[in-house]
Amino acid sequence: MMTQIEALLASKGIYFLTLLLLVLALYGIIVSKNYMKKLICMNVMQVAVIFFFLCFAQKDSGTIPVALHRIVHAADYINPLPHGLMLTAIVVSLGTTGVGLALLTRIKEKYGSIEEEDIIEGEKKFR
Amino acid sequence: MRAMLMLEAILLLALIAITLVVIFDKDLMVVVITYCAFSFITMFLYIVMGAPDVAFTEAVIGVISTIYFIMTLKNIDRRCK
Amino acid sequence: MKKVLPLILILVCLGAAFWSFDFLPEIGDAGSKPNTHTTDYYIEHATTETNSPNMVTSVIVDYRAFDTMYETTVMFIAGVAALLILSSSPNRKNRIRTHHVRKNREHRGAPVYRTVNKEVVITIVKPLILLYAIYVLFHGEVSLGGGFQAGALMGMTYILDAMVIPEREGFRLSKENSAALGGVGTFIYVLTGILCMVGGGVFLEYKKLPLPVEVLEKHSVGMLLVEIGVAICVMATIITILNAIMERVHFDDDTN
Repeated sequence: MMTQIEALLASKGIYFLTLLLLVLALYGIIVSKNYMKKLICMNVMQVAVIFFFLCFAQKDSGTIPVALHRIVHAADYINPLPHGLMLTAIVVSLGTTGVGLALLTRIKEKYGSIEEEDIIEGEKKFR
Repeated sequence: MRAMLMLEAILLLALIAITLVVIFDKDLMVVVITYCAFSFITMFLYIVMGAPDVAFTEAVIGVISTIYFIMTLKNIDRRCK
Repeated sequence: MKKVLPLILILVCLGAAFWSFDFLPEIGDAGSKPNTHTTDYYIEHATTETNSPNMVTSVIVDYRAFDTMYETTVMFIAGVAALLILSSSPNRKNRIRTHHVRKNREHRGAPVYRTVNKEVVITIVKPLILLYAIYVLFHGEVSLGGGFQAGALMGMTYILDAMVIPEREGFRLSKENSAALGGVGTFIYVLTGILCMVGGGVFLEYKKLPLPVEVLEKHSVGMLLVEIGVAICVMATIITILNAIMERVHFDDDTN
């Protein structure tokens, strides 16, 4: 029973849950009218993409990618390439979050609100 | 050691539950603090997958981005429609 | 209707994807395509070629150092962009005024912190975090960590100092100086690459560094220089964004 569940998870389940997370965050971006929530949902979506990349790196009977001896066999260690790529992506996500928050502060100062409907109303006033 | 897929699935379900809270809650402070818990669970998930370097980065960056969010919350309204 | 339509679209996407997951490799399979071709070379040769047991660090700052250089530049540009967006406030006649949030909180009065002596806690905790950051920076090749984590930890030390005890006169960077410091970090990175060209190699080829040490030692020195540059850039970017946002924030216990 457990092995069947694990086989299903290994072939389809984990990918399906990751896609569900991504798509749920996308739904949040579409549905919620508050810009702060949209920014947080964007971060959630980014975590889903990072997780999808890290899924490829896993190996059965592999340890973390820090070499114990000088001579190593490739099957004993987890794939380090997605780790390296995603590590920089996480750090850059902090920079994009900072720029997004700066834009939010500026929008709040100009329109007095960060709700989408209030901003559309405010745009009509300038016309 | 086989990859711990059951634990990963449980943690992913927790992430999905937190995302539902983020989408449907009306208090932005609750949303931001819940996002902090989100990045904490993400850190666990990365450790389970065997990526301790990424988990270390996520632990530090999650705290700093939560600080940024809360600082911006002082400027904007806490309630949301 | 507006909320149902995206839901239907998303369900269609999920269903379509679930029946076509067969082209993705099985999780945990050591012989799958992402785990075989280039990465076998990385895993087997990282220790002997780059003198770094931590393969993630060797992939980031040695094999793919040119990639990381632009990631660092992106970080620097993000800090400068946040600074520029918040450098001026909108024109007074183009602004729509609503009531400010602070009016709702005035009846509560200024908050009083009585439970924890925060100065003592910060005095104990802050040097430990800084010490750990420097350990992570210099041991990034041997154990976990590297330039990005060390820079983030150093930035967190500054955030602790600036946010918990705002009235104390400590080490403070103005926003112009912190943005310039980010440029210095990126410059150190590029300078390491140019130093390799002085020794006769190509850009960022550490084994041609003009230093009187062995080849493996040269790899260690080059990776250390690059990581110092990355750490300074990440730290300065975090401080820049903090300064840019913190200028506009009104705290409850502000006096003016």
